[in-house]
Amino acid sequence: MSGSNRLAGLKARPKGTTVEEVRRVDEVGEARGFLDRTPRKKPGRKPSPRTHQLHPKVFPEVGEAIAEEAENLGITQGQLIEQMWEIYRTTR
Amino acid sequence: MPVIVMASPKGGVGKSTCAVLLASEFARMGADVTVLDCDPNKSLTRWASHGVPTGVTLKNEIGRSEIVPTIRSADGDGKIVIVDLEGVASQLVSRAISQADLVIVPMQPTALDAEIGSEALALVREEEEALGRSIRHAVVLTKTSAAVKSRVQKELEEQLRGAGIDVIEPSLVARAAFSELFAYGGDLTAMMNDPEMMTGGKVDKALINAQAFAEAVYERLK
Repeated sequence: MSGSNRLAGLKARPKGTTVEEVRRVDEVGEARGFLDRTPRKKPGRKPSPRTHQLHPKVFPEVGEAIAEEAENLGITQGQLIEQMWEIYRTTR
Repeated sequence: MPVIVMASPKGGVGKSTCAVLLASEFARMGADVTVLDCDPNKSLTRWASHGVPTGVTLKNEIGRSEIVPTIRSADGDGKIVIVDLEGVASQLVSRAISQADLVIVPMQPTALDAEIGSEALALVREEEEALGRSIRHAVVLTKTSAAVKSRVQKELEEQLRGAGIDVIEPSLVARAAFSELFAYGGDLTAMMNDPEMMTGGKVDKALINAQAFAEAVYERLK
């Protein structure tokens, strides 16, 4: 082949790109086993970023009260402790 | 400008090698070539990481949803678009084929390659029917023997031609230089002219083979 650009005269043929045409192509492909193989996201909930554990021993009535309050607020005991810590930190 | 798609649901048949050789040769002819690496193995991205020939632009990370608009936008830039697809049967493949001016199905001269590659040929024909327009397609035999044409190759060529399938001549011979392109990047001419590059094969013969292959593809795009 020569170095001159002989390819400049080449033209593309018109092709359909409407949603309907893509759907038809997908249907034809699927019938022949050409399926959507896009990797799926891992199922299930994402792991919590709360990874630090506390192991405080408290009187039973205090532990039960914290558990009850967290349940009433619809949050975890860890989140309640975080809120308590935030109040303590800002008011001391 | 034309869109050339390398398609075969079988891996390791030479899709990426064909894409690199065509991109290099068309760029050498003076065309702007956009290469779309749609293969999760990222063979072309690895090749490009060592340097691409002047006139070649590579795009990667293209999924099923992006393939049609990406081809359209690259095509609109007045460039030759070469699409290297993954070696699996996927919607990405079927969508790319729908945008092709020429689909090339590389195939090693083995019964397994022929059987799996024929799935791509059948898909092209079904898409032609569904879209109501022709999509030019051809087979190129790859990794063939430099010395003699094997009996299996002769029979396969006969069968393909007998079924009305266009077979590109010449086939791509098994050359070390073709594999080594992915280690060095660039093109065969650069490889031949750089004394630093150590190749285990005859680069000059590989270059002649690649040029003849690109010429045969060019004839199909006219």
